[in-house]
Amino acid sequence: MPDSDIVEVLFSEGQIQARIRELGAAISEDYAGRTPHLVGVLRGVVPFMADLVRTITIPLTLDFIAISRYGPSARTRGVVRFMKDLDEPIAGRHILFVEDVVDTGLTLNYILHTLQRRYPASLQVCTLLDRTIRRLVNDLPIAYSGFDLPDQFVVGYGLDYRQHYRNVPYVGILDPRIYLD
Amino acid sequence: MQSVTPSSPEQQERKEIRFAHPSEEEFSHILDFYKIEWEYEPQTFPLAWDEEGNVTEAFTPDFYLRQQDLYVEITTLRQELVTKKNQKLRRLRELYPDIDIKLFYRRDFGRLLDKYGLSGERGGLIGQEALRKPYA
Repeated sequence: MPDSDIVEVLFSEGQIQARIRELGAAISEDYAGRTPHLVGVLRGVVPFMADLVRTITIPLTLDFIAISRYGPSARTRGVVRFMKDLDEPIAGRHILFVEDVVDTGLTLNYILHTLQRRYPASLQVCTLLDRTIRRLVNDLPIAYSGFDLPDQFVVGYGLDYRQHYRNVPYVGILDPRIYLD
Repeated sequence: MQSVTPSSPEQQERKEIRFAHPSEEEFSHILDFYKIEWEYEPQTFPLAWDEEGNVTEAFTPDFYLRQQDLYVEITTLRQELVTKKNQKLRRLRELYPDIDIKLFYRRDFGRLLDKYGLSGERGGLIGQEALRKPYA
């Protein structure tokens, strides 16, 4: 069972849902009259995006991208690539980029630079978790942030280890024995 | 998106860099992957001088990220051995308050490896195995 691999609950299901309602209310107010286009990166953002959009009370649209991740084979492949691009153009639209977690900022920085070259009317970020302690890229336009994340390996609520634990309804610290073995 | 071909100037330049430690080379690969421009050990900062003005102590951060104007130092020493490095970093920040520098400790770098699914390579990059590897 996934729960037995998690040594500590960082953010409970109730805490997460309460914070998402706050974020949704703020986004609804700030984007009133602008029909924001929410964009998220598969797959980690799925639970957050699904819950977030249902708390936003103004008209919106949404889309997803998928990108390659750095890993053992990526070293020979060169650079990050869009495995799935946006389905619609974003020129002139108000883009709210939704993230599950911002860590070093390397991935987000690359994505934002790519989206910026497509001339959106505005581009901001909403992240559920923000691990500022490991940030390498500053000045990211994070307008909405759910929780500050400590320097721990966390899973749950979309966050995975080797594609597992995404369905855990809270965010918790993964037992190091799982990933250090 | 452009890929770097083996014969490109960027790839050739990379081949000529002699990293002091495998963890530094791995970190450079991560930066390349996310198209972050970097320089390896581009600048040495004097930290102490003798009475005649000769530099007696200096610090050379591992990486400089140009677009972020940020220096990054990676240390794979165990926590109990980083006191001297911490002292150097403190002195650097005192003398050069406009310099932005981030220190990745062994634990931080280990977590970065875990994040990228490279936990199995910890030994070769930050463990005892890495210390035995003939590098640079």
